Amino acid sequence: MSQSASWLSAGLADLRAGLDRGETTASELVDACLERTEAHSGLAAVISTRGDAAREEAEAASRRLAEGTRLSVLDGVPVLLKDNIVQAGEPASCASRILEGFVSPYDAGVVERLQSAGAILVGRTNMDEFAMGSSTENSIYGPARNPWDPERACGGSSGGSAAAVAAGLVPLALGSDTGGSIRQPASFCGVVGLKPTYGRVSRWGLVAFASSLDQIGPFGRRVRDCAAMLECISGHDDRDSTSVPEPVPAWSDALTGDVEGLTIGLPEEYFVEEGVDPGVLARVREAIGEFESAGAKTVPVSLPHTQHTIATYYLIATAEASSNLARFDGVRYGRRAEKVEDLEDLYLRSRSEGFGAEVKRRIILGTFVLSAGYYDAYYGKAQRVRTLIRRDFERAFETCDLILTPTTPETAFGLGAKSGDPLSMYLSDVYTVSANLAGLPGLSLPCGLSDGMPVGLQLIGKPLDEATILRVGDAFERRTAHHESRPPEIV
Amino acid sequence: MSSLPDRYEMVIGLEVHTHLKTESKLFSPAPVRYGEAPNHSVHPVDLALPGVLPVLNERVVELAIRLGLSIHATVNPLSIFARKNYFYPDLPKGYQISQFEEPIVSDGWLEIDCERPAEGGKKKGKKKKGEAPAVERKRIGITRAHIEEDAGKSIHAAAVAGSDDSCIDLNRAGVPLLEIVSEPDLRSAEEASAYLRALRSILRYIGVSDADMEKGQFRCDANVSIREKGSDVFETRTEIKNLNSFTHVEDAIEAEALRQLELREDGEEVVQATMGYDPERRRTSVQRLKENSDDYRYFADPDLIPLRIAPDRIEAVRAELPELPEEKRARFESEYGLSAYDAGVLTASRSLADFFEATVTGCGAPKAAANWITRDVLRELKERECELEDLSLTPSILAALIGLVEAGRLTARSASQLFPDLVADGGDPETMMVERGLEAVSDAGAIDVFVDEVIAANPDVVQQVRDGDDKPLNFLMGQVMKASQGKAEPGQVRKALADKIRG
Repeated sequence: MSQSASWLSAGLADLRAGLDRGETTASELVDACLERTEAHSGLAAVISTRGDAAREEAEAASRRLAEGTRLSVLDGVPVLLKDNIVQAGEPASCASRILEGFVSPYDAGVVERLQSAGAILVGRTNMDEFAMGSSTENSIYGPARNPWDPERACGGSSGGSAAAVAAGLVPLALGSDTGGSIRQPASFCGVVGLKPTYGRVSRWGLVAFASSLDQIGPFGRRVRDCAAMLECISGHDDRDSTSVPEPVPAWSDALTGDVEGLTIGLPEEYFVEEGVDPGVLARVREAIGEFESAGAKTVPVSLPHTQHTIATYYLIATAEASSNLARFDGVRYGRRAEKVEDLEDLYLRSRSEGFGAEVKRRIILGTFVLSAGYYDAYYGKAQRVRTLIRRDFERAFETCDLILTPTTPETAFGLGAKSGDPLSMYLSDVYTVSANLAGLPGLSLPCGLSDGMPVGLQLIGKPLDEATILRVGDAFERRTAHHESRPPEIV
Repeated sequence: MSSLPDRYEMVIGLEVHTHLKTESKLFSPAPVRYGEAPNHSVHPVDLALPGVLPVLNERVVELAIRLGLSIHATVNPLSIFARKNYFYPDLPKGYQISQFEEPIVSDGWLEIDCERPAEGGKKKGKKKKGEAPAVERKRIGITRAHIEEDAGKSIHAAAVAGSDDSCIDLNRAGVPLLEIVSEPDLRSAEEASAYLRALRSILRYIGVSDADMEKGQFRCDANVSIREKGSDVFETRTEIKNLNSFTHVEDAIEAEALRQLELREDGEEVVQATMGYDPERRRTSVQRLKENSDDYRYFADPDLIPLRIAPDRIEAVRAELPELPEEKRARFESEYGLSAYDAGVLTASRSLADFFEATVTGCGAPKAAANWITRDVLRELKERECELEDLSLTPSILAALIGLVEAGRLTARSASQLFPDLVADGGDPETMMVERGLEAVSDAGAIDVFVDEVIAANPDVVQQVRDGDDKPLNFLMGQVMKASQGKAEPGQVRKALADKIRG
């Protein structure tokens, strides 16, 4: 690994120090990033790069750094975007044929914030089509592969971003999380991923899957890296009505390493032997032991509606998706079927040819649950259960400061292992969807290996309390070395 | 006049879509403009580009509250934006953002004028020209008013020369609308038309909408059924879509009621359907049967938060609300002693009412001002097919003219001669009167000369008056006025005639 390339897999703090001391430059980093991306194209983590544009921006950043006019801690740092976050002048395909040829004329809110912080947006990452999936296999670009084992999935739907950080292509990347799409791939790839509180980060420019659940969040090698990136991308945006008008705390400054006196809730419904990989449970229990020896208290809590979360999630998410994806009709942009006979034929064929099987499945399911005569039994009821799930958390948080769970019931599964069985694929989100339904922040961080594959630890916080889960996650990293594990084959 | 047999009545409910007077669209910053080149008043939100989100234009909420208060309705503290899902090329998102179960305004009413049925007789009396009709007020319920966005426009095949393409213009997509839904309280096409006029007048008064039908800012769907008078059953109704003039509304309702009557008389059933109206053939025809109607899969829009309106916001709007047509009309009757009819005509638009009040302020003669405006000014507007603002005649000019008449310096006849020039070019009535030598002759000696001439020339008529018949006096009056070229002051002429004939 070249000197520049090794900076990419160092944490942000070291990278920042290297840049500020002139040991490397933004231009070197971007070149290294582009080279490594090319060298690891077999992972299919990155689907497009901005080559020259990124190099130019890096030169500008290099000049700023040389002049000592640094914009932020992210100035000159290469970053990748998930393909569902739009950037002006760049394609945004959401890994779908239906957006073939589409180039966005505008920037997402997070893109504006990253650019004004000086981050270099190097390219775009692979994903499940329209963020629908848990393996990054539902993609027109082919499945992204797990850097720890290329025959295994990297998780999804933000699998490309997770794999890119794990493979050391970039120090930071953005993903989006609707039911676990940041945390589950972070867990599978042995990196840190954070889904913020709903409304913390603007959704302006995030191609919607399920509007009431979607949230953009960071991937990084360290918890503190994610804290820094979250500080950059958070904040009220009046172009997103669901964006919360709350100040952005200086999370990085609150990483004290101290967990003494904190109470960590362990949901009894999540710690069951059935359906959970024993290796995963073992690593998570070790992590619990670590916190206890650091002075934190653990208490059992109950989330009684846990058994309904997957059903509730798939009713709400598909209903919203069926409506959100109606705009992809072949009329104004993207791919239109050729030689159509009439309007109905145009719709039918553009959408039949443009959408993949999983997206079609969810549109059909979502259309059904909103239909007259079925609305009350499905969508209406799911909304009521969602309220109950939110209350479960409110009650649990009366006795604890945060909740700790495994991120996923098992480590990365083999490519193709679940693609024929949608239901078992859906169940891999069982520990993550509830945070989306309740709008809570959730952090996944590496807590060791099971059979050579990374295990993720999930910390769920109170609404808008990213500070606590970041502090606890960082404290864990200070006491352990799991974040230093690297995929063996990647050089 | 209804051609439905007397034992039947119509049951009509109207849905009005009116464009709101805002600078920008309902959920995007694109400006609302008419007559722009196609697709030049659009924003990524209007195009439904991937990743865009709607943000509510708060001005729209303000205007909706204003309407709610003006129609005596409840402004709901909580309302919800919902998605109405359907595919159409001029609907870029594949759904329209509207309000469904929880609209911003509900349970209101307004009042319309109805002709009072002639006493005793069944036939409605044709009113004589110039005579104020007998009117009574009728209250029409308004079920709800909700906020929604307009769609774009599709321009099809033949419209684009030499092409069978369809084109889409999204300038109108996202323009804010209020949909105002009446109760089925209307019983004739005339009532429907009166309701629309009253509603349009309110919308304009309170500055909520320009409600210009030609620009498509004020559109109407009519739900129509017929039943035997005395019945309180609601029969199967049909909905006539997209009526865009008052004449079309009236004619289409008439045509649809007659179509339903024919079906009834032939022993067939009226089927629930969406109807189209063909103004050239004056006929309605079935466009789509309701049983095939779309399932719009309404659900609360997750991109928008529930709309909460605090009571003090409502009160702030109420405090700013201008005088409504209804209130103004009542005040005109009591304050100026006008007839209900004149008060109604003068308050039909805010500009006309303001013109009247400014004229009264200038001349102090409300009844004369009302007469001049309802008769002469409105006639000029009709003949010139223009608006009040387009005339050179201002309230102060009209007031000056009336002042001269009231002071006896100008006869009504002379004033009528000056009027068309004042309308066209403005000017000072007094100067014009003097320049044209139209000042009234009120000098007794001069009048006596004309009177003596006329008495001498009409001995037979004079004898009739001497015999006690007053009617020919008007003829003699006319002769004197003619002889004086309209300048003799009529009061003095009448007195001189009476004095000289009867002694």
